[in-house]
Amino acid sequence: MTQARILVVDDEPQIQRFLKPALSAAGYEVIEALCGADALKAVATAAPDLVILDLGLPDMDGKDVISSLRGWSDLPIVILSARDRESEKIAALDLGADDYIEKPFGIGELTARIRNALRHRGKADAAPTVMVADGLTIDTVHRLVSRGGEPIRLTPKEYDLLTLLGRHAGRVVTHKTLLTAVWGPAHGEDLHYLRVFIGQLRQKIERDPARPAIVRTEPGVGYRLVVD
Amino acid sequence: MAQDDRTTHRRPDPDALLALAGKDGRGKLTVFLGAAPGVGKTYAMLARARRLKADGVDLVIGLVETHGRSETAALLEGLDVLPRMRVPHRGRMLEEFDLDAALARRPHIVIVDELAHSNPEACRHPKRYQDIEELLGAGIHVWTALNIQHLESLGDLVADITGVVVRERVPDVVLKRADEVLLVDLPPSELIERLKEGKVYLPENAGRAADRFFRLGNLTALRELALRRTADRVDDQMVDYLKQNAIEGPWASGERMIVCVGADTLSEKVVRVASRLASGLNAPWIVVSIERADQEAEGRAGIEQIERIFRLAEQLGAETRRVIGTDFVEEILKLARREHATQIVIGAPRARGWGSSWSKGARPFGSPSLPDALASRASGLGIHLVTGDREEVRTQRGLRRLPLLSRAGLIRAALVAVPLVALATGTGVAIDRIMHLPNISLLFLLAVLGAAVTAGYAAALIAVILSALCYNFFFIAPFYTFTIAAPHEVFALIVFFAVAVIAGGFASRIQEQAATARVRATALQSLYDFSRKLAGTEKAEDAIWAAVSQLQASLRRNVVLLIPDGPDLKIAAAWPPDTELDVTDMTAARWAEDKQEKAGHGTGTLPSSRFEFRPLLSPHGVVGVCGVEQTAERMDVNAERALAAILDQTALAIDRARLSEASVAQAARLEGERYRDALLSSISHDLRTPLATITGSVTSLRQLGDRMSPESRDDLLQSIEEEGSRMSRFVANLLDMTRIEAGTLKARRDWVDVGDVVQSAVERTRRYFPGRIIETGIASDLPLIEGDAVLLGQVLFNLLDNAVKYGGDEPINVYARRDDQDVLISVTDLGKGIPADDIDRVFEKFYRRGKPDGRAPGTGLGLSIARGFVEAMGGRIHAESPAVKKRGTRIVMRFSTNKTAALPLAEPPAGRPT
Repeated sequence: MTQARILVVDDEPQIQRFLKPALSAAGYEVIEALCGADALKAVATAAPDLVILDLGLPDMDGKDVISSLRGWSDLPIVILSARDRESEKIAALDLGADDYIEKPFGIGELTARIRNALRHRGKADAAPTVMVADGLTIDTVHRLVSRGGEPIRLTPKEYDLLTLLGRHAGRVVTHKTLLTAVWGPAHGEDLHYLRVFIGQLRQKIERDPARPAIVRTEPGVGYRLVVD
Repeated sequence: MAQDDRTTHRRPDPDALLALAGKDGRGKLTVFLGAAPGVGKTYAMLARARRLKADGVDLVIGLVETHGRSETAALLEGLDVLPRMRVPHRGRMLEEFDLDAALARRPHIVIVDELAHSNPEACRHPKRYQDIEELLGAGIHVWTALNIQHLESLGDLVADITGVVVRERVPDVVLKRADEVLLVDLPPSELIERLKEGKVYLPENAGRAADRFFRLGNLTALRELALRRTADRVDDQMVDYLKQNAIEGPWASGERMIVCVGADTLSEKVVRVASRLASGLNAPWIVVSIERADQEAEGRAGIEQIERIFRLAEQLGAETRRVIGTDFVEEILKLARREHATQIVIGAPRARGWGSSWSKGARPFGSPSLPDALASRASGLGIHLVTGDREEVRTQRGLRRLPLLSRAGLIRAALVAVPLVALATGTGVAIDRIMHLPNISLLFLLAVLGAAVTAGYAAALIAVILSALCYNFFFIAPFYTFTIAAPHEVFALIVFFAVAVIAGGFASRIQEQAATARVRATALQSLYDFSRKLAGTEKAEDAIWAAVSQLQASLRRNVVLLIPDGPDLKIAAAWPPDTELDVTDMTAARWAEDKQEKAGHGTGTLPSSRFEFRPLLSPHGVVGVCGVEQTAERMDVNAERALAAILDQTALAIDRARLSEASVAQAARLEGERYRDALLSSISHDLRTPLATITGSVTSLRQLGDRMSPESRDDLLQSIEEEGSRMSRFVANLLDMTRIEAGTLKARRDWVDVGDVVQSAVERTRRYFPGRIIETGIASDLPLIEGDAVLLGQVLFNLLDNAVKYGGDEPINVYARRDDQDVLISVTDLGKGIPADDIDRVFEKFYRRGKPDGRAPGTGLGLSIARGFVEAMGGRIHAESPAVKKRGTRIVMRFSTNKTAALPLAEPPAGRPT
């Protein structure tokens, strides 16, 4: 397998300083960009497989970098962001970023996100037909959800919700994406629907619905299905 | 057309509904109306009260006079009776209705007998109907009793019928607004029977008057009045009901009346007649007085007369207007068109003549041609003429002359006229000695004109009379007698007299007009100055003070201005400044604020107060109350106008100031919020970046360290160390800033060698930033300064840190030198420099070049801490940019070694950290 090439876009030299040796050690080739313009240029010329993007850049807003990129490229983008910029995070995801990670972060978490994003991109959205998460089996071919061989009855909406999360397994799916996909574009803001349905879904599929292990909440952003 | 009417009237009339809505929350007034004393109003009222009381209604007796009649007194038993208030009045104690007790008791219904009663001076309101109005306003239902002869509009009619003038009168509006009127009726013959049996109470000394009053004819006439009033009311109620319920009917009289009045006694009659006419037509009516624009208003007596007529009209339920214009007929017709009037009522005096057309104060409506002119120019209007009798017209004339006849005025006029005529006579005699002058009378004419121009009409008249006498005495043969020999001389004297009177009249009028114009111009100028002054005020306080001084200057009276202070009012400004208000004054002021109407002296509320209080009304409600002290002299129209204009402008200015104060506070709050947001985002960014580096490096080392080269591992460890120290510096900076802000920073006062401190700070910086070139230049003759070596070192390090960050790769220069008594320390970098606009902001907290994130790392605190420290040591600090050849920044610190200049440092004020 050839080394995946990762473009790290961050204006803070000390972040670059530790990401480069760390990601190299993890088996990636690292190229650096300190501002938005450099980042766009590097994507065009160096053809990276993935971009790690800080939202606060000196020359332009990180979100603008995403929308420029998404105009002509669908390469995976992982956002580096701060906890107090929730709305920016969501905006970035809605603009087409694949995932995000909050500062400060451990390198293990970052490499996991990178692997996830690269894997999905590699398979071109062809999610596995059978997924297993915390003892729960989701079989999209037979439209069957079961735990320990016992089938679990889900309503059509609950099933749609679960498989949508499953298609993006391991990655965060924003509230807006879920709502528009399952309930239609008119309901993009009706967060309370989603809360109710996620609650019902957890009652049926989680071992301990009070401490969900399959459908995780990303506070203020969306939900993430964690597969084994 | 009938179609139209139907469609417009099918909906309930909005005005009718509004009138109904206005009554919500108010108490209801029930009036027991009788034709005369003794018909049994009190009895009927109490009998009804007992029935309601038995049903459990909360009903109390506020005041009922039983006049010692046992049958009435028996009815009082078992009813709650409020104790009366004892009020001193002319050395006696009177028992009066206790309004405050009734308000405090808050019964459902209160009975207060004798609606027409007048209160003694010490009470809040001069009239009982005003007490009752307040009770109704407080939502308490009131029952009261009234005899028809006390009704204001019937005053003259009753006097005509019975020959008894009734003094205590109740405005018609009170009865008109009553929610219910119960007629208590008794046939006159029975009433006379009761009187003979002694069952009717009469005041002791009213024997003869009573005999005249209680005659069958009188009582029958009064009974008719009472019955007719009640019937009118029932009719009105029917119409109201139909309107409110959108039922069609022929109710719409659609009549509106304009009543023209002037300063004459006939006008009073005009108003009364108009009032009866209006109530018969069920028409709203406007009483208007027209003042000529080209001449000063009536004298003081005239103004008071018009005001009295206006008050009467208002009591009878009219609206009042003052209009200024030259063409009376045109003004009346204009008003009639604007108000959609259908009827005009005007007085038609019997006196005819042209004499008044040029004299002072030509009667607005006395001019005989006015009704005729109106009749010829008005179309589609009904014109009612009210004729007066001779007596009234005479009074009217006498009234007009009154101001001329005041003794002081007469003396003043004489003082001008006599010397002028004497001078004319003297000159005439002198000239006559030298040569014979045929028309010496011209000299006297000169004297008359002189008197007229300098002292007015009275002086002119005196001069005319004196001139005629002197002319006759000295210059008409036979000389030195008042007899005239030649008939043509008689004619000449008469012509002279006439010419002198007319010329004097015109001249005096010109003089008066000029004087008036001057007064008006002065008033206008002062008002204009005032409004300009107000426009310049930003604070409500300034506007209030400006208003008080302006009021004092233009009214020449004591003034006080109060503004709301929580639930209460407080004096905001007053002239004289130490004015104090007693309880009565304060109550009147609060009344003016609460009810948004005049109160105090000269009004219906608390007239015993020294002040007349008026509310300051702005579009956002009452912003204050102005009290003007009243003296025996009433305020004239000009003063009233000035007062109203000043108060209006003041109210607006206060309102504007309040709004702008509120918006400034709002802006400050927003600014504060923005600042807090910026601060939080800055702090979180500055803490998070090193933390992210540390966490990332540590986890990388733990998880991937075995796959890294030793150099990479070493670099990661080093970056952890650096970021750790960066964070600790940031936290230290935050703490320093907190200490500076909290005022707990204590600078030590030691002798400091600046050279040593600079050297050690530079070395420390070199350790942090090994690659950077820092050049130092320290003068050898540096004196020691008094200060804190640690703080100074910290300041220098912060400055060097900044220079490293923003200085590019160019060398950094640090100089310390002596400047006279001072020591200067400067740190210069050759970076981009600071934009001129920001040069003063660099010392502000969290000022950083660039956006909140995505900029060079730094705390944004360095320079502001530096300033805090330097100032704590008694020094000064400033920034210069560009420093060298359009580039770079230089920060300069200056410390004084001069003992006196450094005194605050040497001897800090006790109890206050420096």
